[in-house]
Amino acid sequence: MPSWQDFQPFIVSGLALGGVYALSGVGLVVLYRATGVLNLAFGAIGAMGALIAWSLIQAGVPGWISWLACVAFGGAVTLGYGIIFGPALAKRDPLVKAVATIGLTLILYGLMDLLWTTSGGQARSLTLPTDNSGFMVGQVQVTWTQVIALAAGVVLTVATGAFLRFTKLGTAMRAMANDREITATLGVPVRRVEAAAWLGSGVLAGLAGLLLADLVALDATTLTFLVISSLAAVLIARLRSITVTFVAAIVVGLLHDLLTPITSLTNYRDMTPFVIAAIGLLVLSRHQVMAQSREEA
Amino acid sequence: MRATLERVSPARARRAPSRPQLTRAGVIVVLLLFVLFGLPQLLSLYYIDTMTQVAVYSMVAVALGVLVGRVGLVSLGQVAVLAIGAWVAARLLFATTQPYPLILLEAGLITMVAGLLIGLPALRLRGLYLALITLMLAGAITVVLATVNFPNGGHGFLGYNGSLVHIPPIRRPSIAASDPAYFRYSVVVAILMFALVLAHIKTKPGRAWAAIRQSEPAALAAGINTWFYKLWAFALASFITGVAGGVLAGAVHYLYSIGFPTQDSITLLAVVLMGGVYSLWGAVVAALLYQFLPSLLNNWGVSADWLIILFGVGVLQVLTTAPAGLADQVPKDLARLGRLLVRLVRHPAPSAAGAGAADGGEGP
Repeated sequence: MPSWQDFQPFIVSGLALGGVYALSGVGLVVLYRATGVLNLAFGAIGAMGALIAWSLIQAGVPGWISWLACVAFGGAVTLGYGIIFGPALAKRDPLVKAVATIGLTLILYGLMDLLWTTSGGQARSLTLPTDNSGFMVGQVQVTWTQVIALAAGVVLTVATGAFLRFTKLGTAMRAMANDREITATLGVPVRRVEAAAWLGSGVLAGLAGLLLADLVALDATTLTFLVISSLAAVLIARLRSITVTFVAAIVVGLLHDLLTPITSLTNYRDMTPFVIAAIGLLVLSRHQVMAQSREEA
Repeated sequence: MRATLERVSPARARRAPSRPQLTRAGVIVVLLLFVLFGLPQLLSLYYIDTMTQVAVYSMVAVALGVLVGRVGLVSLGQVAVLAIGAWVAARLLFATTQPYPLILLEAGLITMVAGLLIGLPALRLRGLYLALITLMLAGAITVVLATVNFPNGGHGFLGYNGSLVHIPPIRRPSIAASDPAYFRYSVVVAILMFALVLAHIKTKPGRAWAAIRQSEPAALAAGINTWFYKLWAFALASFITGVAGGVLAGAVHYLYSIGFPTQDSITLLAVVLMGGVYSLWGAVVAALLYQFLPSLLNNWGVSADWLIILFGVGVLQVLTTAPAGLADQVPKDLARLGRLLVRLVRHPAPSAAGAGAADGGEGP
């Protein structure tokens, strides 16, 4: 068993990873609650945004414009998909809507592989200026990127929670989560509210892609399927609670990184999100075996 | 006329199949004979290998088609199940000298038990949650496989020896050692698996699945043990996928955990939806899309990424406009094109408007 000393750096990196998972999770939950779509393309959108940012930086464009381009790409693609396919699939089962986003995932994934070929062997990396400066906590080096990642997770969770609770648009989104038809009857501009949710979720996808490209790796496959890990947190929250999503995301991130120094388990650390999600779901499902939501009936 | 006759004596009608049915059966037999004996003569070794893969993946696709199309359960972890089947078969092939069919049966049964262990708790979930938990489990299985590795002739329970210099290939049945012979062997296994699925669909389980797909509460009210039949579908799909894994092990000789990434399960669902989940032909179309097209493009020097993009577009198209997939859409479109051509030949330009109206009436 490694000593406490060995675990310390992994607490920091785990919290940072958990922060980004939370950020992704919040983006997924907000969209699901407003539109009933679980966007499985979330990771692919962020990955492509990050690759675009990388290309822009290679071309000599100033960093901050590239990062903005990444976030803007996330918002634009997600909004575009939502406007084209959202209404067409609005009345279908949540499962069908989720599978449809697999289509978008594959399109983006194919495009990324085509445009940014990996066969050349040169590893790409996206570094933020906050990587190189930081501070020490005890004997552990903390970079500002890690601080930003955790802070982004915390701030966005709180801000989204407040937004959903206190603003008019947020109330409309919560109403639509309950019943789209009745909300429309009450005079809420359903399409516009949905568009807002798509855009907001897409911006979060771009942001998460940028941070993950820096914290994990700038690689199309890795980033595209990293969304599965944040899905774990979302699943434990049963696609509803933002607070539970945040807590679960932090736990997943922390546990994943804390397993790294334990030699007998280090190879299995990538299983953390799946195992946590599986156990969480199965325990939660015990209480509502036959509960059926309106959409499924 | 024929309809009234059938209504009078349904029992006799069932025994004596109608002419279209006979024609269809004849076409299928001729097609199978051609695939078994004609195709290996015509194709190069490269394409024979590809077609063996098509046979393997048609089994995986038909298993997934049963889950998605017949029962309405979406599994995003089928490639992980295939990996389990391949692992078990490879382990048994290295450890024992049992005949190949027995190994395939055992691989199928052991995979079925594994599938049941997963299915028992997972089937309490439904819809989206079930799909996502299969994705999570597939992810977990992939991680375990990456650490455990596929058997390579080593000793112990796992049968993996990382320091082995000369890795023995996974053996094939003695009657099917060559590539064309193994292709025929895998086609025969695939036919058996399709027949197994057909036998299920035509009998009680198939009717129960159809009821469950329509509405689970209604099926429950009609006295169908929905939990049991869902579990049965899960078991059947795992069994067939396990057998497919066994065939795959012999086809490729060497197995690597990197060959079964989680994302393949997602792509597989996409092609199965594109091929069509409501007919068995859809599984064949899906396997051709999934294995034959990449080989073809590779041969032509076109990047396989275009195919991934095509699959993405295909999924969106299937879900928005053509739920029954290519297996249903293409014959319909061809028939419509044929009718249009016939009309154009019979009455040229003037009655084009009338033809258009008639077509509109028959729309999907």
